[in-house]
Amino acid sequence: MARVRKRLPASFDAVARLVGGLGTALLALTVLVWSGVVALLSCVGVGVVLVPSALRVLRAVANRERARLGVLAPGPVPRQTRAAVRDVTVRRELAWLALHATAGLVAGFIGLAMPLTMLQNTTYPFWYRLLPPVDNTPSFIFWDIFRDVTDLTGALVVALTGVFCGALIVGLAPVLVRVQEWPGRHLLAPPAGVDLSLRVAELTATRAAALDAHAAELRRIERSLHDGTQNRLVAVAVLLGAARRAVDRDPAAVGAVLDRAQDATEQALAELRAVVRGILPPVLADRGLTGALTGLAGSCGVPCELVVDVPGRCAASVEATAYFVVAEALSNVSKHSGAASAVVAVRRKGDRLLLRIGDDGRGGADERGGSGLSGIRRRVEAHDGRLTLDSPLGGPTTMEVELPCGS
Amino acid sequence: MRIVIAEDDPLLREGLALLLRAESLDVVSTTDTPESFLAAVAEHDPDVAIVDVRMPPTHTNEGIVAAVEARRCRPGLAVLVLSAYVEQAFATELLAAGADRLGYLLKERVGRVEEFLTALHRVAGGGTAVDPEVVGQLLARNPHTSALGRLSPRERDVLALMAEGLGNAAIAERLFITEGGVHKHIRSIFAKLDLAPDDRADRRVTAVLRYLKGAGPN
Repeated sequence: MARVRKRLPASFDAVARLVGGLGTALLALTVLVWSGVVALLSCVGVGVVLVPSALRVLRAVANRERARLGVLAPGPVPRQTRAAVRDVTVRRELAWLALHATAGLVAGFIGLAMPLTMLQNTTYPFWYRLLPPVDNTPSFIFWDIFRDVTDLTGALVVALTGVFCGALIVGLAPVLVRVQEWPGRHLLAPPAGVDLSLRVAELTATRAAALDAHAAELRRIERSLHDGTQNRLVAVAVLLGAARRAVDRDPAAVGAVLDRAQDATEQALAELRAVVRGILPPVLADRGLTGALTGLAGSCGVPCELVVDVPGRCAASVEATAYFVVAEALSNVSKHSGAASAVVAVRRKGDRLLLRIGDDGRGGADERGGSGLSGIRRRVEAHDGRLTLDSPLGGPTTMEVELPCGS
Repeated sequence: MRIVIAEDDPLLREGLALLLRAESLDVVSTTDTPESFLAAVAEHDPDVAIVDVRMPPTHTNEGIVAAVEARRCRPGLAVLVLSAYVEQAFATELLAAGADRLGYLLKERVGRVEEFLTALHRVAGGGTAVDPEVVGQLLARNPHTSALGRLSPRERDVLALMAEGLGNAAIAERLFITEGGVHKHIRSIFAKLDLAPDDRADRRVTAVLRYLKGAGPN
C-alpha cells in the first residue's frame, strides 16, 4: 500500500504528460493527413508549391513537441524545397510525425480514457439508480459489458473494475509515457552535430556583430580623446611654454598667451565632459531613458514635445546612443534651425528602438556642415542602426533613427 | 628658418605658429589637410615641415604618408612629425629611407620649448630627433638580447641618447661627462654590438635603431 502511495504522484504526472502528448498527437495527425494530401498532389505536379508551407507547419508542430519535451529546436527549414526535402532534420521529423500521429495518439487516448473510466466506474454504486432504466448507454468504453447492471452487487462489481483500472494506471502509465515520448526524444533531438553547428554559426555571427559594434564604439571614444581632449591639453602645454619664454623677453605679451592657455584648458574640460557623457550619461543610470530624455527636452532652446513609449529597458549602450542622438539633434535644433518648436518621439517596435526628431525650422541640414550629424551617423552605424535625414531647404527637418535594442 | 605647419586642430595649429613666431622663426604657411600641406610645400619651399600624424580624412596615418610624399618630391626637406602617441609602425615607416633630416616626437614635447627648438634645429641642420619614448620602447623590447645585456648601465644611457639623435657634445652635456668619455663609451658600444663605428649622427641613429628593432647589425 505504501508503495502504491509513493507511486501516486508519478502516476498523476504520467497521466498529465500523456494528455499533453495527446494534444500534440492530434496536431500531428492533422499534419500527417495534410502531408499525405500534399504528397499525393505532388505526384500530379500541383502539390509541389504546397510543400514548403507544409514543411513549415511540420516544423512548427515538431517544435511544439520539442518545447514540451525540452529538446533543443533547430533553425528554420531550408528555403529551397529540394534542400528541405533532403534535410536530415526534416526527414526525421516526418518519421516522428508518422509515429506520433498513430502510436502517440493511441497512448494519449488511453492516458485520457483510463482515469475517466476509473472515476466513472468507482463512483458507479453512488449514481447507478439515477440512470433511466432503459436508455442507460453512456458512451464511455467498457460500458456495454455492464449495460444491464441494475442491482447493488452489479454496481459494486463495476466499482471493482474501476479500482482495477486505477491499478492499471499506476502500473502502466509510466510505460505508456515512455512509448509516447520515445519518437520525439530520439527523432526530434539534433542528429549528431548537424543542427548544433548551425546554432553555433548563428550565435557566432551575432556575437561577432556585437563585438564589432563594441570595437567601433571604443574607436570612437579613442578618437575623441586623442583628437579632442589631448590636442587641447597639448595646446595648453605649448601656450604655457610660449608664455614662459615670453616672461623674459616680452612681459606685455604674456597676459594674452595665458588667456589663450586658459581658454584651451576650459575647452579641454568641456570636451572631456562631452566624451564621458557620450560613454554613459550618468542621468541614464539615475532616471532611465524616459527621465533622461525628459531632462533633454526640458532644457532644449525651443519648446519641445516629447512622446516616449518604451516598455522595459534596452541595453545600456543602446540607451546611451539614443540619448546622444536626441541630445545632438536638439542642440542642432536650438543652434541652427531657427525653429519655433520641436517634437521628439521614441518608441519600441519589436527589437528595434525608433527615434524621430522633428522641427519646423528652416531645414537645409547638411552632414558636411560640421553640425554633429556625421557624429550621430557614426555612432548609429556602430550599433548597426539606420539614420535617415529629411531636411529640404525651407524645412521642416525630420531625423529618423532606428537602433537594435540588444535585449 | 622657413617653416610649414600641417595640423588639423585649429587651436594647436595657432599655438604652434604663435610659439615659433615668438622665437623669430618664419612660419610661412599653416595648413590643415594633407593636400593643402603638399601644396604649401610646393609653393613655399620651406626648410622644415612640422606635421601631425593624424589628419583628415581618416585620422590615422595621413600625416606620415604626406611627410614621406613631401620628402620624395623635395629630397632636402627636413620633416618633424608630431604624434599623439608612440606607434612603432609610424616611426618605422618614416625612418625606413634613412634618418637624416627627420624627427618623430610626441606632441607634448612641444611644451618643453627649449628641447623642442633644439630638436627642430637639429632636424633642420641635417640631424635626427627620435622621441625618448620610442627609444625606450625599443630598448625595453630587447632587454634579453645578450649583446644589450653586456652593456654597462652608463653605456645603455649613452645608447638611448644616441638613438634619439643626439651628438657627442649633447650626450656629454646630458650625462654630465666629458666628450672624450662619451667617445670612449660609444666605441665600446659599437664594439659590443658589432656595429661599424661612425661619427655621423644620422648614420649612427639608423644603425642603432636598426639594431634595436631586432634586424641585427647587418
